[in-house]
Amino acid sequence: MAVVTASDGVTAGTWEDAVRAAAAALVAAGAAGEGYPGACVRVVEENGPYIVLTKGLALVHARPEEGGLAVGVGATRLAAPVEFGHPDNDPVDLLLAFCTPDADAHVGTLAGLARALSGGLTDRLRAAPGRDALERVLKEAVPDA
Amino acid sequence: MALDRQLEILAVCGVGMGSSLMLRMTAEDALRSLGVDARVENTDVSTARGMTPDVVIGQGMHTAEIADLAPVVITISDFLDKEGLEAQLRERLTEQGWL
Repeated sequence: MAVVTASDGVTAGTWEDAVRAAAAALVAAGAAGEGYPGACVRVVEENGPYIVLTKGLALVHARPEEGGLAVGVGATRLAAPVEFGHPDNDPVDLLLAFCTPDADAHVGTLAGLARALSGGLTDRLRAAPGRDALERVLKEAVPDA
Repeated sequence: MALDRQLEILAVCGVGMGSSLMLRMTAEDALRSLGVDARVENTDVSTARGMTPDVVIGQGMHTAEIADLAPVVITISDFLDKEGLEAQLRERLTEQGWL
């Protein structure tokens, strides 16, 4: 059973703020520990902005031992887009954060999410009118939510 | 020379469990469309260094670090662009005589 959450109209001045906010939604939902948002920022600091998977969308995550308590997925829509410094996919207005308690538990959830993303999930998330609709659209895309 | 075995393909990213898993799904779809018998794994760049795949796929910031790891190294910028990856795979696998 995956935890699904959403936040809308989030104000972020920098990519760090955006990543923290996206991961904090998982903490608020009880799926991740307090240290998770900071760990997600470090992933980008250490590995570069590769988490910007496609135009305008970042996949926010850290390793399970950084505070993954359950499989969780959260959609965060920004009030205004931010730059990650990605060569092709900036600016980012939509973030999907996920966490997992171990290296395998999330595979089914994320595979379902990947299929949904190929099938136009980002457009449906961008078109969702408000936070509740955002969460509902994401829930439909996550197989075990 | 045609391969008489399954092609080994590695999708890489920084952590090895999120973005690269998404990329693996995209690669599996693209390979299915091309009719290529392949096994796709995903991992992080450091772990990738100890592996010997036939093909590596990742973003430029990662493939630059492991450019000598495999005969075919494919750089992508969009992890979800199946058509773009399929076109690159078709060209590069044909060059090797694997398609």
